[in-house]
Amino acid sequence: MDTIHDLGGVEGFGAIDTKAPGFSHDWERRSWAIAKNTTASSGTLDFWRHSLERMEPATYLSISYFEKWCLNNMTQFILAGDFTLEEVLSGRTDQRHQPNAPSSLQGARARLKANEVFFDRQIDAPPLFAVGDSVVTREYIDARHTRLARYARGKSGTIRAHHGAHVFADAAAVGDERAEHLYTVEFSARTLWGSSANPRDSVTLDLWESYFVQP
Amino acid sequence: MTRFDSDKAAEIHRHLHAHLPSDPALRVRTLESLVTERGLVDPADLDSWVELYANEVGPMRGAQVIARSWTEPEFRDLLLRDASEAVRSMGFHGHATGHLKAVENTSTQHNLVVCTLCSCYPFAVLGMSPAWYKSTAYRARAVREPRKVLAEFGVELGEDVGVRVWDSTAELRYIVVPERPNGTDGWDRDQLAAIVTRNSMIGTDRDLRIA
Repeated sequence: MDTIHDLGGVEGFGAIDTKAPGFSHDWERRSWAIAKNTTASSGTLDFWRHSLERMEPATYLSISYFEKWCLNNMTQFILAGDFTLEEVLSGRTDQRHQPNAPSSLQGARARLKANEVFFDRQIDAPPLFAVGDSVVTREYIDARHTRLARYARGKSGTIRAHHGAHVFADAAAVGDERAEHLYTVEFSARTLWGSSANPRDSVTLDLWESYFVQP
Repeated sequence: MTRFDSDKAAEIHRHLHAHLPSDPALRVRTLESLVTERGLVDPADLDSWVELYANEVGPMRGAQVIARSWTEPEFRDLLLRDASEAVRSMGFHGHATGHLKAVENTSTQHNLVVCTLCSCYPFAVLGMSPAWYKSTAYRARAVREPRKVLAEFGVELGEDVGVRVWDSTAELRYIVVPERPNGTDGWDRDQLAAIVTRNSMIGTDRDLRIA
């Protein structure tokens, strides 16, 4: 789906607020902590991303990052059946809370390290492309969730690295966690943006094999 | 309810945004009440997570990695070959560093990192991303007009310098290795780390300043 999140190359945005810090409010810190320490009882990272992409475009553009995360985590909990919409809207649920453990920085350190997740997988299929090959990306994508950004569709680029097979985002977003060969592909800025772009500049994207027009 | 129901997700988003109180602080408090009442997480664990990010997980970790790469050639080789392993060897691994790639600036090459589709960032080694990195303006503009974006950050590039923008579209995450500035011969790792800015590891800073 070509939803609002696919922002690369969209024009009309103003200057960047280069001084804004990572967190401006305590509730942002809490939203971050909740996001990284709870998880809906089923789902995938890619469906989580897709669900965020289904926010109304006007809402997506107007609310802040951590509010988006809060609303998307609520949505994920509801979809997984962990909470009902009514529970979330009322803010009340059945109490199953255990007595507080003391806050432990050691525990937080361990949880941060445990967050090191790997997406590479062994697959039997050999890679169809090699470093140095020219590839052309597909012009149309019909998956609901894709990581082939709009600005890089139907373009030719050069493979700069092969990363083995990684879990394929488009499939994982519908619960099918299969892997495909993943490559870093470099596109010249002129290919992407036309002759006014600087000939020395380029953009790289990390793209799965089925994003390419097949040889 | 089908778990991977895209349209249902959109419908729930509309309900939530329309019917929850509009103050984001109240929305987050509601979510925190739900997950803690249900026992999905202990409030103390949220407190310690906040404390961890406030005090320990931040760009000072990345700066230590960069400084070490400047002083130990073997570590530099490891960083450029397998950055995940390099940060793991320093104990800085975790969230979003499983497939980390270090990209090196040179006198004729500048690197800039963005995530146009969401907000991918190597959190465990750089801490929370700055708000501008997640902004619609940066995500939209970095790939299309990187030189104008860099100018807004005060970075002016010479005519002979190319810009390579890394759009984090899969699970690889990127960290830029800035050039070691002249005048730092004999500095130790802590002295060097102190001049490595967060932005230089994202690519919105280039020439590091020595005090």
